[in-house]
Amino acid sequence: MKRSVPLAIVMVGGILFMIQYFIPHQHSQTLFEYYTEWAPIVGAFALVLGVGSLTRLHSHKIKRKAKNWQYSYAVLIPLYSIPFFALVMPQSLGGGMMQTMGGDRLTMGVFDFAYMNIQVPIQATMFSLLAFYIASAAFRAFRAKSALATVLLLSAVIVMLGQVPIGELLGKWFPKVGLWILRYPNLGAKRAISLGVGFGVLATQLKIIFGVERNWLGGAGE
Amino acid sequence: MSIWEKMLNVDRRWIFLLIGIACVVPFFTPLGLPILPSQEVISIYDYIEDLSTDNAMFVGFDFDPGTAAENMPMGVAVLRHAFARNVPVFITAYTPLGQGMAGMAIDELTNPATGDYFEYVNWDAWAEIRDQGFTERADIEEAWLAAGNTLPENARGWIFEGRDIAFLGYLPYFHLVILGMSSSIVSQFPTDVGGTPLEEMPMYQDHKSLRDIDLAVTTAGSSACVAWITYGREKIGLPIAFGVTAVMATDYYIYIQSGQIIGQMGGLRGAAEYETLLLDNDYCKNPGKAYIGMDVQNIAHLLIIFLVVLGNIAFFAGGFNKKTKLKGRR
Repeated sequence: MKRSVPLAIVMVGGILFMIQYFIPHQHSQTLFEYYTEWAPIVGAFALVLGVGSLTRLHSHKIKRKAKNWQYSYAVLIPLYSIPFFALVMPQSLGGGMMQTMGGDRLTMGVFDFAYMNIQVPIQATMFSLLAFYIASAAFRAFRAKSALATVLLLSAVIVMLGQVPIGELLGKWFPKVGLWILRYPNLGAKRAISLGVGFGVLATQLKIIFGVERNWLGGAGE
Repeated sequence: MSIWEKMLNVDRRWIFLLIGIACVVPFFTPLGLPILPSQEVISIYDYIEDLSTDNAMFVGFDFDPGTAAENMPMGVAVLRHAFARNVPVFITAYTPLGQGMAGMAIDELTNPATGDYFEYVNWDAWAEIRDQGFTERADIEEAWLAAGNTLPENARGWIFEGRDIAFLGYLPYFHLVILGMSSSIVSQFPTDVGGTPLEEMPMYQDHKSLRDIDLAVTTAGSSACVAWITYGREKIGLPIAFGVTAVMATDYYIYIQSGQIIGQMGGLRGAAEYETLLLDNDYCKNPGKAYIGMDVQNIAHLLIIFLVVLGNIAFFAGGFNKKTKLKGRR
């Protein structure tokens, strides 16, 4: 039962909406509209599951004083406090849009403050660190060890110089060759990868719909 | 230990320091090198240039703060162009944090402190004009001026909430939201983020579904942008333009070649190209953040190339290509 019911739902739903996509009839569209309204509601239950699971995992870590248990507080406190402040003091859920929504920067709510002054800088910092690691990795690992590696290295250098105005000062051909690499060899390779991935996804989806691939059940009922 | 080995074993903190200097110094000594817009960016600019008050477009802030340095200037530039041409804009977000990003972009364009902004008129502020039955953009502005309002000196124009802009924000399962909007926008977004009913907005009355929309520009830091193609372009033929990070840009040339997107802004360079077009055509007084940021990218790219060349010289000159392993701390 634990296996056959989900399998039946997936098969019926999968086939139904595969066919629906190609039928422009009013009934078909109504069915589709029902689906687009229902799907997020059903999906919202996953949020409850996710938050519950995360809470359980980290509260266990704190109870057992597991390794780095202190960091679990850094997960749990914002997890509950930010939505709480957003609900209690929803001055502006539009993020930084304080002035336009008639607010005042000085009376910024806790939700806005946390978003603007904690979340935005943290994420920006994490992403910015890439520049440092890329530079270090390029120095240590980007070697012309073989013919293919040399082609890759030269392409990278040309594209990098072609992407910045200073490259054009060094040689008028840098942007042209850089764009040529992006528009032709890169495009050809990406197209091949994209088609391969597309067919792979299609095959996997058909296997899931027809019950051949059952890993997503997670061993339920076994 | 030879000099080459010492060089290859250099403490990486020195490299970090060099990159840090390369990122900071250009802000104090701008190079101001000219940026030539590429055809991929010119296509987007020309497309929006052909839109008017009778058209409408979507701008998706489909990125998180991590990629804001690249994506935010794109979003701001496109919005500036649309506002200047009085093209109604629906603003959405693919992620919860993207909604905040969109808010910041609107804030930047409507902040008088920037000196080159748009005067934002709240929904409630022009209620009387709506009550008089004005819905056309030109009529609304005329009635607004007749009511005694004057455009501040540094302002470029008015933005009437509900006529020029509808900030719809984030909804979960956004690919489904795009699908739903292909039938009806209001079925997915009954109100904007401020709680104003979408059905009461004049811009909604003329554009009730994605089929009535003339362009969707998605500024994305992930593959979220592909959802606009899969569910917008392929299902109902919605014209799409991309604004993506530099590392993603190489992935999406296939969509330009196939004609599925009208153009693409790739990374900070793409944003700077759009800003250059706006600057050249008098849509703004000063270069934007991407244009300024290109100086940093100039120096950083040169430095990384220098490090790659140096690393290779040391590697081959030291004969490490023939040895099995380089000794020392790596």
